Amino acid sequence: MSETAQQDRVRPWRLADWFVRHGRTLVIGLPMLWLVIFFLAPFFVVFKISVSELAIARPPYLPLTSWEDGKLILTLNLGNFQYLIEDSLYVSSYLTSIRIAFFSTIFALLLGYPMAYVIARSTGHRRNLLLMLVMLPFWTSFLLRVYAWIGILKANGVINNFLMWTGVIDSPIVMMQTDFATYVGIVYTYLPFMILPLYANLAKLDTTLLEASSDLGARPLTTFLTITLPLSIPGIVAGSMLVFIPAIGEFVVPTLLGGPDTLMIGRVLWSEFFNNRDWPVASAVAMAMLVLLVLPVMWLRRAQSQQEAG
Amino acid sequence: MTSKPSPAHDYPWQSDSAKPFIRIRDVTKKFGPVAAVDNVSLDIYKGELFCLLGGSGSGKSTLLRMLAGFEEPTAGSIEIDGQDMAHVPAYERPTNMMFQSYALFPHMSVERNVAYGLHRDNVAKGEIRQRVSDMLELVQLSGYERRKPNQLSGGQRQRVALARALIKRPKLLLLDEPLGALDKKLREETQFELVIIQETLGVTFIVVTHDQEEAMTLSTRIGVMNNGKIEQVGEPREIYEFPGNRFVADFIGSVNMFEGVVTENEADFVRIRSKDADCDIYVSHGVGCAPNQKLWYALRPEKMEISRERPDQKENFFEGNVEDIAYMGNQSAYRIRLKSGKIVRLTRTNRDRGEETPITWDETVFVSWGPSAGVVLIA
Repeated sequence: MSETAQQDRVRPWRLADWFVRHGRTLVIGLPMLWLVIFFLAPFFVVFKISVSELAIARPPYLPLTSWEDGKLILTLNLGNFQYLIEDSLYVSSYLTSIRIAFFSTIFALLLGYPMAYVIARSTGHRRNLLLMLVMLPFWTSFLLRVYAWIGILKANGVINNFLMWTGVIDSPIVMMQTDFATYVGIVYTYLPFMILPLYANLAKLDTTLLEASSDLGARPLTTFLTITLPLSIPGIVAGSMLVFIPAIGEFVVPTLLGGPDTLMIGRVLWSEFFNNRDWPVASAVAMAMLVLLVLPVMWLRRAQSQQEAG
Repeated sequence: MTSKPSPAHDYPWQSDSAKPFIRIRDVTKKFGPVAAVDNVSLDIYKGELFCLLGGSGSGKSTLLRMLAGFEEPTAGSIEIDGQDMAHVPAYERPTNMMFQSYALFPHMSVERNVAYGLHRDNVAKGEIRQRVSDMLELVQLSGYERRKPNQLSGGQRQRVALARALIKRPKLLLLDEPLGALDKKLREETQFELVIIQETLGVTFIVVTHDQEEAMTLSTRIGVMNNGKIEQVGEPREIYEFPGNRFVADFIGSVNMFEGVVTENEADFVRIRSKDADCDIYVSHGVGCAPNQKLWYALRPEKMEISRERPDQKENFFEGNVEDIAYMGNQSAYRIRLKSGKIVRLTRTNRDRGEETPITWDETVFVSWGPSAGVVLIA
């Protein structure tokens, strides 16, 4: 009797038991499923298109597989990638993208580090206020903010009008449609992504280390160079990645602010896709960019984890 | 183990002509409206191992940080070796500090941590290497040069911190709770090591601690701090046997405090009536007090006798009931309840083995003491 009674008592808990046993899988599984559906699947679609052949059709490429005389034929067209290497347009726009992203990252670091430092060193209300100011631009549309920069930089914009009014210059300085405007736009847009990880790193810096350094005879600048800066490298790396990676693929800023010479890979991709309707080459451009970004990121992650272990 | 002062120094604080090495004059430090250090004046002499002793919030660490140059005094002056320290930044002071958290640079090896101060002074490479290896030998850390701080035990970190603070041969070493993070056994060993190092190098040490036993063991003199003020400065023995007021008596060691009123006040004796103690207290020396003045009589637990027989004296004894006994091996501690309800703590050395009829719970006993056993406190 006692055995059945015990089983009856256990039964209502079955479902809970199941959740306890499989909860871990569920918690990991759901985001994994999300990634597979919305990231991995589109990735394979893009990969498929990048190795298919252009055709005047809808969609504008040929299927990879065909059926002929009872044989299944898989055609992988690597010509799209070959084309990327052969046509100097792509190589040079990749290089331009890397150059602009690299210098934007440097400028963002030079601007963002002191800002993050001051925020991390301030206390209470002041710190919250400054952090709010850093995040405030996110509350307005990104596109709107880029348009606002046009109003500031254009020939009869805010800056030129002010300089002409004060008599510093006679004729307007050309700022729009230049690399300068592209840099301004990118640095402005991604600065918060530099500041926030740096702030998080600098805020947890143990200030007694700075006192110890000063106590041992280091002037403030030496203390910064020997203690603060080396200990903030993880923050610098994180912030730089968060700026560099999106800046490489940036499309809006160079299109709206940059000149016709500012050929960044995002723009090339867009025109390949919409103007030329060459989906396979556009996809190949995207794939190449991915490889270009993933490799350095993986290398950096490895270097970082090695540093932490050592 | 009071470190024996070498003959060259003797007891400089006892002579009027000795020139203090550190002169703290009317120093006050305010954080907002709160005075963390309140009008402190203090002289410390060369070669001393001076302990600033106090509870948390007593201002001892703030005083130490002002000596190091991390805090500016709101008022008053600090002189080190004849030089006024006002507006001298920490990195130009002839002091080094050992931090409570050790503050070792986590990204540098032991060697580079210790060499840091020498690199800042642009000492030649060869000399740095020599001095670092000598110093690591002194603190018994040879062979650990390449380790990072997170690969060391607490005791090893403590010694790296000490080596780093000593490498520049400072005139004054400031130590903030140097043994606070170590376990009891390691602590006792390290106390001795610290004193030996201090004597070998002849550096003046100022140690901040909340541990009165540590202060007693280490120091040549102790400054007891409370609420930002220095309550008393003296040699460990003086602080223990002749506390200046109730706070010091209570803070150092344990003490039984009896409130009383002066009934007889003569040049060579004083008699006090105490309701607390149920008896008259006779003190065999004069005290600067007036008849009927309220004062306190402090009696340490080890200065009393306990017995079953009524002692043959008119004063300085009371009757009580044994409420609790703690056997601690070397000694036994008794808690005795008096008729007034006051609990008195008393300790007795366990001199005899296998005592036949030891005093036990709920027994009525007599506790007595000599005419000079206790201290009369006016404040």
